[in-house]
Amino acid sequence: MGIASNSPIQVAGDGGHPRAGIAQGPALSGPGQAGHTPAALLRSVFREERVFLILSVFIGVFSGLAVVCFRFAIGWCRIYLLGSGTVLTPVRLVLAPTLAGLAIAVLVIHVFPLARGSGVNQTKAALYIYNGEIPLRTAVGKFITSALAIGSGHSLGPEDPSLQIGASLASAFGRWMKLSRDRMRLIAPVGAAAGLAAAFNAPISAVLFVIEEVIGRWTAGILGSVVLSAVSSVVVMRWFLGSESMFRIPLVELRRPSELIAYSVLGVVGGLASVLFSTGIGVLRPRFKAMPRWTQYFQPAVAGLLIGIIAVLGAPQVMGAGYEYMDEAMHGQFTWQFLALLAGLKIVATLLSFVSGTPGGMFAPTLFIGAMLGAAVGGAEHWLLPHLTVSPGTYALVGMGVLFAGFLRAPMTSVFMVLEVSGNYSIILPVIIANTVAYLISRGLQPMAIFDVLTRQDGLDLPSMEEQREEGILRVEDAMRPVEDPVLGAQATVEHALSEAEKSKGEELLVRMNPSGWNTVTKQQLRTMVDEGKGACSLGSLLPIRQIPCVHPDQPLETALRYVDRWPLMPVVSRADFRKLEGVISQRDVLERYREFGEG
Amino acid sequence: MAEGGMTIRDSLRKSLGGYLTREAVSLALLAGLAVVCFLGVTVLSRLYHTQQESLGSRWFNRGVVDLKAQRFDRAVIEFRAALVYARDDYAYQLNLAKALLGTKRSAEAYAYLINLWEREPEDGLVNLELARIAAQREQTQQALRYYHNAIYATWTDDASQATSGDLASKRTVDVEEQRRETRLELIEFLLRMNVKTQAQSELIALEENVGDDAAEQAHVGDLFIRAQEYEHALEAYRASLKLNPRDSPALAGAGRAAFELGRYDLAREYLQTAVNTNSSDAQSAQRLKTAELVLRMDPFRAGISAAQREQAVMEAFVAAGERLKSCSANTSVETGLGADWAKLKPQVTALGMRRNPDVAQKAMDLVFNIERQTSAGCGTPAETDAALLLIAKLHEGN
Repeated sequence: MGIASNSPIQVAGDGGHPRAGIAQGPALSGPGQAGHTPAALLRSVFREERVFLILSVFIGVFSGLAVVCFRFAIGWCRIYLLGSGTVLTPVRLVLAPTLAGLAIAVLVIHVFPLARGSGVNQTKAALYIYNGEIPLRTAVGKFITSALAIGSGHSLGPEDPSLQIGASLASAFGRWMKLSRDRMRLIAPVGAAAGLAAAFNAPISAVLFVIEEVIGRWTAGILGSVVLSAVSSVVVMRWFLGSESMFRIPLVELRRPSELIAYSVLGVVGGLASVLFSTGIGVLRPRFKAMPRWTQYFQPAVAGLLIGIIAVLGAPQVMGAGYEYMDEAMHGQFTWQFLALLAGLKIVATLLSFVSGTPGGMFAPTLFIGAMLGAAVGGAEHWLLPHLTVSPGTYALVGMGVLFAGFLRAPMTSVFMVLEVSGNYSIILPVIIANTVAYLISRGLQPMAIFDVLTRQDGLDLPSMEEQREEGILRVEDAMRPVEDPVLGAQATVEHALSEAEKSKGEELLVRMNPSGWNTVTKQQLRTMVDEGKGACSLGSLLPIRQIPCVHPDQPLETALRYVDRWPLMPVVSRADFRKLEGVISQRDVLERYREFGEG
Repeated sequence: MAEGGMTIRDSLRKSLGGYLTREAVSLALLAGLAVVCFLGVTVLSRLYHTQQESLGSRWFNRGVVDLKAQRFDRAVIEFRAALVYARDDYAYQLNLAKALLGTKRSAEAYAYLINLWEREPEDGLVNLELARIAAQREQTQQALRYYHNAIYATWTDDASQATSGDLASKRTVDVEEQRRETRLELIEFLLRMNVKTQAQSELIALEENVGDDAAEQAHVGDLFIRAQEYEHALEAYRASLKLNPRDSPALAGAGRAAFELGRYDLAREYLQTAVNTNSSDAQSAQRLKTAELVLRMDPFRAGISAAQREQAVMEAFVAAGERLKSCSANTSVETGLGADWAKLKPQVTALGMRRNPDVAQKAMDLVFNIERQTSAGCGTPAETDAALLLIAKLHEGN
């Protein structure tokens, strides 16, 4: 974790120590004149954290505008490359993705090398490796190549590229505003949230995804900016494209609790499909990358050709993002057998597009596979047990969340995404159950999440958000030991204290001070006091006025680590009663525990 | 002057410099850039949306043409293409649903229609289509609900819901006509499902809205006949005949309604005219024959002499005897009937009836009993027996 020591995220709540960071409070105003003159007031308004918040709104606005243009570009590419109807000619179905694939390969290899891939990992890399730097050229490249790919029928989606476009714009603005290094690191996720929110028309899901998958932890400092940018981008997007949800949501109903069993089955199927999908990417992508360089020019074209053939053979639904077909699946417009076939073919088509290095996102294909699989499972269950299930449309909706949880491994986002897209709270139980089942199966069968797989394949070592979430935290209680030596009172005489100390094994002893607080004294110090003729004096009157910070058993062990080098023995006290000693902890205890933890 | 000017400029720069922090300037520039970009995207957006609307409209119009020509498969493809460009367009969805219904894909059509219904539950056309789907699935309650919604809903021409294309004229169609048609359809459905009581109620409601159209009145009469509500049927036929007295089907219908009501005099009158008007109407001719037989054989009819009554009783008694004889093999007929008939036979003479006035009543009671039992056990009665059975029904409870 390269940024851990400098980031404001890391130091929050560190027990009252001054926060590392920039421009703290009224430091910009001269003494005695803070806020007194309009100019000083204006300068105090433009402190960096406030500038960052205002900039977040601008990032949202520009990302929203960029995403709107991106959507227009995809629409135009589709019309001019594939045609305006829904039944397309075989020639176009085959030629458009093939020729577009050739053009994309040339652009990606020679002009926009960073435009390859989905964009999520690139944004994470900007945060953790490149100090928030994403070249604006990447956004331009992503815009052009992704629009061409999706518009020509490659099985990819616009969300991840939108995320990267937003991040790239944000990075450019951050550089222009000459933000500090800490702010620069955080600016890419702010733009990412804006881009994703506009692409999804779902600000909550976007914020959650960025927190869950890119940043990895919740802090007030970043949350405000992420929310502001996401909201402003959605407002801009809705201004131009309307506030309609992505899908016409079917009537959602859960008639009886037994239906939850059927949703669990969907979770199982979705979990297995997620594993299949991510294993496919994990296995095929490095093999495609390892092929001779000249083949890179043809890989997207061959992928396009194969997708075109799938379309000609009767499944044009697998081309592009496929939102209109998800909508149709939700309204029972396909048989469950055809839905299952579409889910399988979409996995194949997306694998082809993605592993060939064609720029584009995996969100839309994931949702497509989930919707088709969900509706297929719902339809099959309805066919087998007509009284158990009601509406295949609801299954399609839940299925989208299931794949999101299983494949992208973003469990929180998956739940909120379905809620936000459906606008119906009554779906929450099926979503939670199915998503949890899918997530657990996917995690059980494939320990590494897809984004981490891609990161490793690209030779990067970015932190795994999933591992971070599930990382065991060592606490003070794991390292503390029981109080074996006597605890001395402040009123006790030095002689008495020494006689008590002589009975103990340890060199250092705790002293309970009056009216509260703790101190320590060594045997040697006590002997010296006696030798100096202070044996009859009370111990409290002779000890220097310095209070040892207390720690509590539930605090992270790293809290204790901050103090143990200065205080050889620290009291661990109850939160309910500060005078109640729960144990003691020393530097040796802490290091020993860390060593044991490191050894597994 | 120059010195003074420099001082003012310097002081201005100094005071402005206090305000113009780098951040403030940068943010102001960003705001300006945002406005410019916003305007640029607005232009692009107009271009994009105009093209989308135009493409949607083009596909929609093609779909409308194919729908009218009943090329439903093509219409489905074209409406789907139109919906790509205006996913929530009401008219596009409604027409797609219609085309899907044309291709018998009612489940898909239902999905679109229910979506439209959620948007506009008052739309008559959507309710009607949903009612038809429910009727097709024999979901009586659902169908009733949607039919009733449709009857009391808002009715406009299809075209009034179109957002584009040459069908966009907002012409309101005859609402009452639509409602009447819908109610007629509902009645047909109820009769098909054999829900006669509900059908009768709907017919009574319909009757009030039927205008001065002989054919319509006659059609209502037919429906009343099918719902076995003969009194209202007769009224409807009469209303029709007032407008068109020589309308053969209405005459036949009125005859049948009167016949079913047991008003054989009136039935004979209408049926006679009907047969005269349309000699090929075999059903009416048969019914006329039966009515005449009933009138001739009924000993209890008013305005006949004692001799005629005695003659009628004797004829009926003989006919019943014959019927009983032909049906003697059937075990379901009471065995005592033959003995009763034989016992009473000597008394059923003109003299016997004059001597004992109760004989005629006893004889007819036995005749009615024989006819009822034989009709139940020995198949459809022949002409005379059928007439006797009708006379029995006519005087049931007397």
